[in-house]
Amino acid sequence: MAVRIEALGRQHRTLLAQFQNQHASLVEYLTRFALRHGEKDLLARTYVAIDEVAGAPRLAGYFSLSTVSVDRASAARLPGLNRLPGFPIAGVLLARLAVDARVQGQGLGRFLFEEALGLTLQLGRAGPVAFRLFVTDALDGHAAGFYERFGLARLGDQFPCRMVLDLGPILGAR
Amino acid sequence: MARFQALTNNVLDQELEMLRERLGLGASQKAELLREVAALAAWIVRQAEQGRLVEGRRGTDVEALRHPAIERIRAAKERPVGPRVALTDDEVSRLAEVLDRGFVLSPALRAALANLASTKRRPPKLRWKKTAA
Repeated sequence: MAVRIEALGRQHRTLLAQFQNQHASLVEYLTRFALRHGEKDLLARTYVAIDEVAGAPRLAGYFSLSTVSVDRASAARLPGLNRLPGFPIAGVLLARLAVDARVQGQGLGRFLFEEALGLTLQLGRAGPVAFRLFVTDALDGHAAGFYERFGLARLGDQFPCRMVLDLGPILGAR
Repeated sequence: MARFQALTNNVLDQELEMLRERLGLGASQKAELLREVAALAAWIVRQAEQGRLVEGRRGTDVEALRHPAIERIRAAKERPVGPRVALTDDEVSRLAEVLDRGFVLSPALRAALANLASTKRRPPKLRWKKTAA
């Protein structure tokens, strides 16, 4: 049976503890915070990839989306700032994306990224809110390379590394 | 408006000394002075965090507390969009380059956009390994 994407809810609670990933922070977020952030705190919404294995559901991966306000840490004058839209710049944050270590390398990460981008573009095109950036933080070089293939640019040299995609052209900004 | 200015160490020492005397503390009670000043400042910050205006009143005479630190708290509270990401100057420069270079549609992004538009898009079929790679 094919993988299906669902918004994380209480019905998935029993599946969370089985999730495995080499980054402990990604496991911890899913098991401890994702549900609370989605249902109570309304900080981020998490979507899970559910796979049926011998009739039993398994959580194969997930991603979390949130809004983000990109601002400057300092007020120092910088050349070229007049080319930027005014700060803060609104965006959608791909706060987490992880695939269970037992099913990595089979295209699920790419599929989840497409889902996240698709939901973001859907929101941007529907028009209730306006935003310019798709933002994420790559935990390591492997993740940064993955996002770079999709056109995200690194803003820093150290990890976690902030990365952005300008959605303006895709959303038809004039 | 209350007087706030950039304080040199000497001026700061004098201000603290004046405060110590006005709070009725002895010359050896500097730790006590800091505790009391911290308690007063914490109360002001708490009011500002709760969105309250801090002001002194006597009859019709009203003096509002204005200070850059209070403005920072207010600005953070009134920020309209979700979590705030603060970029360093280097990151801002790179962002300017990214937004300035025009649209670069990488092959993977082109494929992702095409997949999203396709009705034939399907998730991958997964094979579960017994142990993590």
